Amino acid sequence: MSAGVELKDVSVTFGSFFAAKNVNVKIEGGEFFSFLGPSGCGKTTLLRAISGFQDPSEGQVLIDNKDMLGIGPNKRPTSLIFQNLALFPLMTVAENIAFSLEVRGVSKPERMKRAGELLELIALEGQGDKKVHQLSGGQKQRVAIARALAVEPKVLLLDEPLSALDLKLRQRMRTELREIQKRVNITFIYITHDQGEALTMSDRIAVMNEGELEQIGQCDDVYNNPLTPFVATFVGENNPLFGKIKDLSGDEAKIETSDGVFISSIDKSTNLNVGDEAISFVRPESLFMVKDGNDYKNKLSVKIENIEFEGNVKNFYASLYSGSKIKFSVANAIDTSEIEASSQIELCFDTSKSIILPKGALATE
Amino acid sequence: MRSSNTMNFLMGIYILVFFTYLFGPLIIMSFTAFNSAEFPAITPWECFSFRWFNEGKIAYDGQHLAGLFTDWRLHDGLISSLIIGAGVVCLSVPIGMAAAIVLTQVKSQLRDIYYSISIMPVLFPGVIIGISTVVLWDRIAGLGGGGFISDVGRNGIFLTILAQTCFISTYCFLIFVARLQRFDQTQEEAALDLGATQTQVFFKILIPYLAPAIASAAVIAFLASFENYNTTVFSILSDQTLTTVIASKVRLGISPALSALALTIIALTVIAAVTYEVLRRRQERKYIESQEEFVKEKAASSRVNKEYKARLKIPKGIVALILLVIIGSYVATQVVKNDLYGNSCIEAADIIKKSKFLDQLQTLESNQLSDEDLQGGSLGGNQDYGDIFGDPTLFQDFGGFD
Repeated sequence: MSAGVELKDVSVTFGSFFAAKNVNVKIEGGEFFSFLGPSGCGKTTLLRAISGFQDPSEGQVLIDNKDMLGIGPNKRPTSLIFQNLALFPLMTVAENIAFSLEVRGVSKPERMKRAGELLELIALEGQGDKKVHQLSGGQKQRVAIARALAVEPKVLLLDEPLSALDLKLRQRMRTELREIQKRVNITFIYITHDQGEALTMSDRIAVMNEGELEQIGQCDDVYNNPLTPFVATFVGENNPLFGKIKDLSGDEAKIETSDGVFISSIDKSTNLNVGDEAISFVRPESLFMVKDGNDYKNKLSVKIENIEFEGNVKNFYASLYSGSKIKFSVANAIDTSEIEASSQIELCFDTSKSIILPKGALATE
Repeated sequence: MRSSNTMNFLMGIYILVFFTYLFGPLIIMSFTAFNSAEFPAITPWECFSFRWFNEGKIAYDGQHLAGLFTDWRLHDGLISSLIIGAGVVCLSVPIGMAAAIVLTQVKSQLRDIYYSISIMPVLFPGVIIGISTVVLWDRIAGLGGGGFISDVGRNGIFLTILAQTCFISTYCFLIFVARLQRFDQTQEEAALDLGATQTQVFFKILIPYLAPAIASAAVIAFLASFENYNTTVFSILSDQTLTTVIASKVRLGISPALSALALTIIALTVIAAVTYEVLRRRQERKYIESQEEFVKEKAASSRVNKEYKARLKIPKGIVALILLVIIGSYVATQVVKNDLYGNSCIEAADIIKKSKFLDQLQTLESNQLSDEDLQGGSLGGNQDYGDIFGDPTLFQDFGGFD
């Protein structure tokens, strides 16, 4: 059983501060949907509005097409997994999992049976009598999930539940969460500031900044066709090339920057005209080195400043003629041993792999 | 190296002085409880005796010096103290807890004001709380005519419970505030989210979390009530609590029965503290063991697999206890052997005292004093100042009282 969630013009204000501003989003039943944004962007506030801990100052929260106004968190068909998990330290694992059944008056043998089933689902059979502090980080994580699922919610809300885990465990839990979601087939709404998490798990993501939704879409779409400079720089990495539109033709445009004229793709919805200030974005992995770049429309000559070996890729930090910095990555499979710091090289990129957007705020690291 | 030795030595001296200062009086007082003398003293030591715990003694002038066991005023006082203590616990703990929970809900600047008001009763002198309670309830009792309200309003035990609760609930408040500061409020939210009602959250999440604080608040409240004097002495009216009984006894002259009482209270306190500590350590060990088991389980497949040997240990407490029993039995045999214990010893001491008493009486009787001596004379006195009331000229200019 899953249910859709719809936010209609939802705003949440604290005094004069907008934690969320006119948010409109429709999440389908059974979807794995992520809100992605930097800390303080209002994503947790939205989650609290859906779970019922925070009434929206304006707008409506609809779950299963029912307005949730005035319905408390204990009456909503949602379950929330907290950032710190909020397991009950004085109870055993099984008591934790069966808590939601206990408060609904389910008899003890029945709820222990249900707890046993859920322990099996999270591969912790026979560990129901342990105390919470006897579990490892990943096990606690799974207990929190089991506890949230015990109520059989229609919507599961997850507030950065993986942020406290180490990298390897985090990667394994991503797959695990996705599998659990497929198995129980309910709507998952996931909150994160980690774009890797959002992209790997979600069906669709919504990128948020300063209380407003910047873009909603499928993962690859958001990554490849960002609609705002913020999305372009927050989801993955991007090199901005600042300039002015020189020419427009169909879905391509010429942009004149202090480092040359480039031709990049452009979306018509951006409503840019010739002469407008704009930014062309190129991702580090879309830049490649060429010996003789005459065949390419977009050429950059750079001076290498710093080299960073990451394992699967090598990252090069370089400066352009104008002084602005640029980053590009080369897969480790390609031999780049002859490139050293302060060597002068030529970079090229495809028109289709760069995108022009109107000038706007970038994501700050 | 040398300076650290000196430091250790000085530190040792300091600790010795500190503990002597702290426990010296208590130890001396405890010994006086076993001396058969009428006045609490270690020297002169008469006989080792338990009589101040039991029947006490009849003095030569016929006055009964009651022992702890036979002193009914002390018993009555103790009973009212226990009743008042229980009443104070029942009122202070819920009031303190409620006040502390409210504090967690107040977020604005009001929080500081609310906190200040809440702890204010501790800053008031206890005497004022006592008097004001009596004054207020006297008015209320006056309004009640002759019925139930006037009975209650003039009931010392009831008034004392109310007066003590005024400031003891603040102690409880502070204990709960300290515990609640460490409370993770997302637990309440998690419980709510899982479908619990506010009442269920309170009883299933908050109360279990606060249980240790409830226990310590109850103990503190009871002890604070039990030992209170300056509020109680006003609000108790015609009744008596243990502290007011003791105070009135001290006014008449102290007896070793009070030492016996003090020793009993000290012993009960020590036993309670030791029991608590033993239980706490046992629980701690259990926790550590469960953690070790967890680590062992985790480490079973990894190279950090350590060996966990079972260690044979004799608890230090048992060693100390055995040592104490050996020393105690040695001292006891010495006392009995040297005839320092029992009725024969006490009788012998009484005979000596009686003869001294008779000697003094005889000296007094043999020293016949003249009238002149009694008015001053060779014994000193007021002769140098003259007899002001006998002097007719002294107040001759005094007009008298209007």
